[in-house]
Amino acid sequence: MKLLITLSFIFILSSAIYGQTKISGKISDESNQPLPGANIYLKDTYDGTSSETDGTFSFVTEEEGEFELIVSFVGYQSYSEKITLGKKEKFLEIKLKEESTELGTVVISAGSFEASDENKAVILRPLDIVTTGSDADIYSALETLPGTQQIGETEGLFVRGGSANETKTIIDDMTVQNPFYSSVPDIPSRGRFSAFQFKGTVFSTGGYSAQYGQALSSVLVLKTQDLAPKNLTAISIMALGFGGSHSQRWENSSMSVEAGYYNLGPYFQIQKQRTDWDKAPEGFDGSVNYRLQTSKTGMLKAFLSYSIGDLSMRFPNLDSVSYKNYFYQKSKNFFVNSNYHDILFDDWTLFAGYSVGIDNEDDEIDSDLAGKDDVFHTAKVTVSKNIFSNSFLTFGGEVQNLDHKSFFSQLNGSFNETYLAGYLEADIFFTNDFAGRIGVRAENSKVIDQTNIAPRLSFAYRLGTYDQLNFAYGRFYQTPDPSFLLYSKNYDFENSDHYIFNYQYIGSERTFRIEVYYKNYGKLAKGSVQSYPNFNLPQVDYTSTGRGYAKGIDIFWRDRETFDYVDYWVSYSYLDTKRDYKNFPKLATPTFTAPHTFSIVAKRWIPEIATQVGLTYSFATGRPYFNPNNPEFLGDRGKNYQNLSLNASILTNLFNSFTIIFFSVDNILGYENIYGYNYSTDGSRSAPILPPALRTAFIGMFISLGETNPY
Amino acid sequence: MRRSLSVILSLLFLTVAIADDKYEKEIKKNLQKIDECKTPNDFIKLANNFERIAVAEKDKWLPYYYSAFTYVLASFADSVNSRKDIYLDKAIKFNEIADSLQPNNSEIYTMKGMISQARMQIDPMNRWQKYGTDATTNFTKAMQIDTLNPRPEYLIGVGTFYTPQQFGGGPTAAKPILEKSLAKFEKFIPENEIMPKWGKEQVVDYLKQINESK
Repeated sequence: MKLLITLSFIFILSSAIYGQTKISGKISDESNQPLPGANIYLKDTYDGTSSETDGTFSFVTEEEGEFELIVSFVGYQSYSEKITLGKKEKFLEIKLKEESTELGTVVISAGSFEASDENKAVILRPLDIVTTGSDADIYSALETLPGTQQIGETEGLFVRGGSANETKTIIDDMTVQNPFYSSVPDIPSRGRFSAFQFKGTVFSTGGYSAQYGQALSSVLVLKTQDLAPKNLTAISIMALGFGGSHSQRWENSSMSVEAGYYNLGPYFQIQKQRTDWDKAPEGFDGSVNYRLQTSKTGMLKAFLSYSIGDLSMRFPNLDSVSYKNYFYQKSKNFFVNSNYHDILFDDWTLFAGYSVGIDNEDDEIDSDLAGKDDVFHTAKVTVSKNIFSNSFLTFGGEVQNLDHKSFFSQLNGSFNETYLAGYLEADIFFTNDFAGRIGVRAENSKVIDQTNIAPRLSFAYRLGTYDQLNFAYGRFYQTPDPSFLLYSKNYDFENSDHYIFNYQYIGSERTFRIEVYYKNYGKLAKGSVQSYPNFNLPQVDYTSTGRGYAKGIDIFWRDRETFDYVDYWVSYSYLDTKRDYKNFPKLATPTFTAPHTFSIVAKRWIPEIATQVGLTYSFATGRPYFNPNNPEFLGDRGKNYQNLSLNASILTNLFNSFTIIFFSVDNILGYENIYGYNYSTDGSRSAPILPPALRTAFIGMFISLGETNPY
Repeated sequence: MRRSLSVILSLLFLTVAIADDKYEKEIKKNLQKIDECKTPNDFIKLANNFERIAVAEKDKWLPYYYSAFTYVLASFADSVNSRKDIYLDKAIKFNEIADSLQPNNSEIYTMKGMISQARMQIDPMNRWQKYGTDATTNFTKAMQIDTLNPRPEYLIGVGTFYTPQQFGGGPTAAKPILEKSLAKFEKFIPENEIMPKWGKEQVVDYLKQINESK
């Protein structure tokens, strides 16, 4: 007993002499789960420790007086507390809040698919876009996602019952008037922009932000690359042509120049075409990309491109056995996109951009001359300010001017449209688990002399670490297509309302997403406009009295875990839609929609031969087509669509240079797809619309000169 | 007067010396622990120790650098990709602070390259283009600043070792690079005991592995 007293006396004495204080406690997260590995220390001293597996910690300090106790841990907000160190032991129970910038915060994502390297919770990576499908085209890669249609006879993204012109392509926040090469009858043209120049893609199939307008169905938002990482010269040799590029990198700036020549003639000699080409497509593309880092946060981007090409072909005239129609097209496109982006005064983000696109098309249809001239200017300013924690306010304005001229034989048409828009939007994180985006957009169109106000809402609620529920509502307006405006200016904006509800799970290797939607169309432009093929339907007046709806379910599943080296995704879309627009006599399911669409993409990396092999299978049930002999308008259904394509990228070394050999075959199984039928004027004769060739094969080689080791 | 001043001065130096001595002792003590770490959590705890020293010292780059280094090692030890990225985010943060305290330092640039390498390893197919280039740029810069630093070549050599032959990698391609690194290690004398000196045993191991496989 005496000994114990003495001992404890000594102990008290010694701790008094050395002034030792024991600090202990427990660190947990907001749901009381212990956090092991948190760093607990007294500021400005070496004293501290890490928490154990059960979240507890304990350390002693010789310090006395007022100190700041700090707890820090990866993925969590730092915690600090003033404590007074005396002779008493301290016991502290501390809860850490998750840091909202890390993985594990709710993300506003109803309606959209994002591909990015920067954000972690995304469905795709930029490389997925390049390595999907058979032709490294952004648009064909996106057609493997739910919500899109498999349309083989024309270009464009047909989203959730919408026509191709209801989808807008936006590059660095600027709308692009003509993202595709010029249209050719019954043959889809490619996108004009190389997938390699983008670092991020957001493909919204509905319910998108108030920052974008003039698209009833969908926006494709592309972000270009920043500074080129290094000096690099590359050449490409393809079955269709050849090209070269050079990137030069300086300390704070970079410039890339690219040029390419294509001529499908030689290829068509080998790969027999059904299309009767008179002159195979031939053309030249060139572009310059400049980047200047103006400060730590400031970036100036300028992109300039020019392309020129021509082609001619003959196609059967269904009204005559001996005569064939002749079509010649020469097209030129000039495009500039420049923008500046910076962060000012800590939390103000400024974006300013200007873009111009000049399209010129000269056609010859039999003995008639036709053509089109578009000059499209856009200027846009967006300011964004952080208001509190992760919440921010975005506002800005946009001006677009489109000068449109077109002619066919002796007929001339033109109009000049000035479009003004302003938008205000708040992204608010109510908690780490609940966020909302509330926005409004106001637009004015000079040509139709109309103004609108469009509300947009999107909410996201996180259920667990990896899954969340999303809801979006929005109203969208679009000025009627130029083809209507040439006939009448007496139109209102076309509109659509989107209601979207989704559940998604984004794990590190597996993703699941299911989305149901309802879309209501109003004031769709009606009227009979000159278009091919001519339907021989009663003349319809030019009014804004069209309407329609679309509803459906989109399902997406991606898995990179189950099979070694294999990454696959599966998409399914169900679509029920009808509309009354253009010269439709009644509400009907349009030709560009199939009720069921299914696709599966699988990629396997084979390390032994450094090759990636990809397979894409698409299936869609038959689409409606117009048969003048059927009293029911659009009452016929085509046959089901099927396509299995294969692509392989072999990574290798040629002439001491890093080389990718790319090879692809479309429609391996040789399935005979029919996209619809063309009819003669009297309806007595018809011809199926077929792909230009049963199968298409492509081979190309991309060589990075002097680049021996991509590591 | 003069004498008392000198006493004060010498006392002052003494406290500084004691403080410095404590700093060096702590760094040394923790450096010895690196080899004992096995689980990601072991590395995190060690990184925490370096972080405490760093925050207390404020103006010394070395503890920040070592904290970054141990976070990179934690990312190698962990098996979950999303966690690896979070560790590397932290490593970058600390290494950036080190860089701001000691600009143009070969070791810090080596660490930048090492972090990029670690980033790339998480998803090589999607990341080699960006992070492979980043790593090369930083290693090149590290070698320019200090031609005698053996670590950039050690890491380039290891990267090459694991790169498939088709890309110009593999053991045969790695061998001369690792040999160069070893030659530099033989001559390398760290400024003092707490300066970076890691890597030599690993280079020897890799070279042994390459020679045995032939």
